Amino acid sequence: MSDTNTTHAVHARRRTLPSAIGEPMVWLTGGALVVCLSMIVMLVLLVVVNGSKTFWPRAIEQVTLHDGEVFLGVATEHERDVETGVLHTLYRVGNRDIGQESFRWIDDEQISSIETPDDAVMLEREAWGVWFGVPESIVRVHAGQEDTVLAHGSGDVLDAYKALHKDARKTKAKIEQLKKVELGSINSEIEALRLSIRQAEIEASRGDRGLIRLGWVLWFVFGVLAVGCVGLVYRCRDMGTELGASNARQGELIRTSGVIAAVMLVLAMWIAGPWKGQVVDEAQLETMRADAATSEAALLVEYDEVIAQIREIEDVDHELRLVIVEPTSGHFSPVSQTLGDEPMYVSQVVRLVQANTLSTRGKLGVFFSRWWEYLSTNPREANTEGGVFPVIVGTVILTLLLTIFVTPMGVIAALYLREYAKQGFVTSLIRIAVNNLAGVPSIVYGVFGLGFFCYTVGGYVDTGAVESARMGATGWWGMFVLAGVLLIVGFAAKLWSKPNPGKLPTSFNKWMQRGSWLVWTAVLVLVVMLVTRTPYFYGFFEARAQDGTPTFGTRGMLWAALTLALLTLPVVIVATEEAIAAVPNSMREGSYGCGASKWQTIWRIVLPGAMPGILTGAILAMARGAGEVAPLMLVGAVKLNQDLPISTQAPFIHADQSFMHLGFHIFDLGFQSPDSQAARPLVWTTTLLFLAIVFALNFTAIMIRSRLRAKMAGPTV
Amino acid sequence: MTNETDSTNTAESTQPVIRSVAYTPNGGGDQAYEVIDAIRRGENPTPTVHPEVLESDSVINVEKFNLWYTETQAIHDISMKIPRGAVTALIGPSGCGKSTLLRSINRMNDLVEGVRVEGGISLNDSPIYAPSVDVISLRKRLGMVFQKPNPFPMSIFENVVYPLRIDGERRKEVLEEACEKSLRSAAIWDEVKDRLKKSALGLSGGQQQRVCIARAIVADPEVLLLDEPCSALDPVATLKIEELISQISERYTVLIVTHNMQQAARVSDFTAFMYLGRIVEYGPTATLFQTPALIETEHYVSGRFG
Repeated sequence: MSDTNTTHAVHARRRTLPSAIGEPMVWLTGGALVVCLSMIVMLVLLVVVNGSKTFWPRAIEQVTLHDGEVFLGVATEHERDVETGVLHTLYRVGNRDIGQESFRWIDDEQISSIETPDDAVMLEREAWGVWFGVPESIVRVHAGQEDTVLAHGSGDVLDAYKALHKDARKTKAKIEQLKKVELGSINSEIEALRLSIRQAEIEASRGDRGLIRLGWVLWFVFGVLAVGCVGLVYRCRDMGTELGASNARQGELIRTSGVIAAVMLVLAMWIAGPWKGQVVDEAQLETMRADAATSEAALLVEYDEVIAQIREIEDVDHELRLVIVEPTSGHFSPVSQTLGDEPMYVSQVVRLVQANTLSTRGKLGVFFSRWWEYLSTNPREANTEGGVFPVIVGTVILTLLLTIFVTPMGVIAALYLREYAKQGFVTSLIRIAVNNLAGVPSIVYGVFGLGFFCYTVGGYVDTGAVESARMGATGWWGMFVLAGVLLIVGFAAKLWSKPNPGKLPTSFNKWMQRGSWLVWTAVLVLVVMLVTRTPYFYGFFEARAQDGTPTFGTRGMLWAALTLALLTLPVVIVATEEAIAAVPNSMREGSYGCGASKWQTIWRIVLPGAMPGILTGAILAMARGAGEVAPLMLVGAVKLNQDLPISTQAPFIHADQSFMHLGFHIFDLGFQSPDSQAARPLVWTTTLLFLAIVFALNFTAIMIRSRLRAKMAGPTV
Repeated sequence: MTNETDSTNTAESTQPVIRSVAYTPNGGGDQAYEVIDAIRRGENPTPTVHPEVLESDSVINVEKFNLWYTETQAIHDISMKIPRGAVTALIGPSGCGKSTLLRSINRMNDLVEGVRVEGGISLNDSPIYAPSVDVISLRKRLGMVFQKPNPFPMSIFENVVYPLRIDGERRKEVLEEACEKSLRSAAIWDEVKDRLKKSALGLSGGQQQRVCIARAIVADPEVLLLDEPCSALDPVATLKIEELISQISERYTVLIVTHNMQQAARVSDFTAFMYLGRIVEYGPTATLFQTPALIETEHYVSGRFG
């Protein structure tokens, strides 16, 4: 017995330590997860609840104060005053056009009674915010005659209003349509005429076409080179499968030299093309001006006709007046503050809500009609009323554009990094740099986008190179030829940097490798210089730029999308690299074994295999890009631009325009609104909408990805 | 702890009986492994090549071929002729360079960093390591099947016609005809003809390997290279592949690397026994397995060494 005990004592391990007990860890980790999840759920719940109650119609209260004042309003908040400690209520009282604040705090102890009168209505109007009052009459006004009263008394007025309002709104919409489409197109035609004259004047004053003839000599250089290469290939066609038979590289070099020479030739011809129009002289300019004046006169006549048409419709429209009276002052809702003594037009009413008598169904009706208005119309009243349609369109288009830009860019970069580049110190360095790009504060991208895309690239598109940077024609063409020759040299060096089959690279190969890098860098620098210092290019929108209204040389959709693309590039590169690395090497070997080239293998095996991963990257980029606001403030998002970035008019996508964006809209509503109390509920609603849109975009992308995955993978995978 | 006890137990009972037969340097027991010993000392003894090999017409001719992975030499001065229209098997213990030799023929080793070769290999009299050779057109003349079945993640049809696709063939009828012919040759047509549009990854391992063989022969290669094609398959699938190799050998020259001596005996016409990057003995399979010239070969094929 004692013997066994001693053996036990030798082999016995220590009792389980308290620290080895894992149960608390389960609780701790689970608890952490629950805390995280509940924070997210609470955030979403808060947004959903607050966002969706904005449009729910609330009771209109008639408040009587102890001092005898009576007013109509909707209670929006109830809280204790921080300073005085009294309970007070925030009433939305509207009626801004008769000179009162549209929100007022009332101490609860001042209130003597609150009623909810059945006939109280809330008017949502096109301008000047809401109006609270009691319907009195609907009147038809005749010029110089007695007005006809169509309905009198609350009930009758509401019935008549229901009958008349729809038609009145339709008329109003027609007027807006005429103004926007007809007048808009006439205006833009006049503007186009003016710009074409302006452009002709600018070109006439420049008159430097003589420069172009210089280029002709240099076409000759590339022409001879191209023809020579073609001749060599033809001459050597019988010398085996490979030109020169001794070395595959010589054939490749000659063929590629021919291609480069041909490309440079075409480029040179395009730059100094003789088919380009001759410079207009003064006499031609005069004729152009005269023609333009005639066309403009015709357009102005047309303009007046449309105006007359609009007036006619408006006159009929303005006959119908709605008199809604505020009970205390007896004032009715006017047409506008300047026309304060005329009752408003029926067509100015967006919605009339008799909140106190509405059934639940009626309330639901109002709720959904407000939502629809919110989603489908333009904003009004400094964004505090109306809809966010252009904002939604701007956000969605921007997000799609950025995804379209970033995905190919990122995929190509990742392909090079993973498939072509030699894995070594430099590649790791680049990889680290790319990863660090993801950590750069987004506002920095905004500053870069504004400086580089908007002003530098955009300015170049508008007016060509900066005047002081333009080179003389001789120097420029010299540089052009140098670039062409260096391209061929660089290619040759690259060819000779490859070792012979089955041999290790010799020092000659290694030097050629370094040399080719040097030459490529030089070519890159030359190309940048050739582009930025070209003496021939004066931009596409010179006239507008000289008028001080740059087209691309300012903030706009295109630059915003590119800035965000740059911002989200690391996400795509990292995701794509991982996806490419996950494609098994046996697939690549199998493809090579079938006689596929590297590019064929990438295109047919690697990319399809990596596609789900690439899409994951695109989705992440989209999610990141959709939520960015800070850089957008610098590169293109604006408070108000009702012109959509897409339209049915050519070029269909107006990438040069500034745009509205939900993220910026939330900021604007919350912090820059002139009527912050009115905008506050909309902050929640817009946040909810923003969340929903980002979610919808992501969901669509995820659906596409999972369909692709199902198509790619076999049933067992 | 457990290991210790195990080893002591076996040491006391059965193990040493087997060990006495295993190879020991400078000849174990009564037999001397002269060639192997020479190779182990780093010499290049002349391989024993049976005259039958030299008599037949050769499709691949390896001449004084050496290969280094950076510093390590994997193939030492190998010269061999692969007879046309026959199945030639490369056998030998792991690391003897048989796969490397196979992969040198379609220059798959180009993909490995730091590989250097000396000497030459010619395929139908055209050298494959000449600077003028385009490696892609070279690989198009050869078909290759790998150890692990590696069908691409696409339909069976697309897998089989892949070599034609990369040659730019688009005519549907041509592709369909080639696909059917190739799948019939690979003895899998009846199993997959109703599911050609389904993913090849849904097939069993043996079926996948036969699809890979169909893919390798669809473009009529001059030589079919098989790199241990059955090592990842179960016995039934292995048997099917072996039958298939016998059928295919009527039309193609096949070079097969195998670990499995029985397999080499079953499918091949000629066998080369390799050791540490050298050819030890090379001759008709029957001779090599029944009356080999060298004691080493006899011991290796009968499983007593290696």
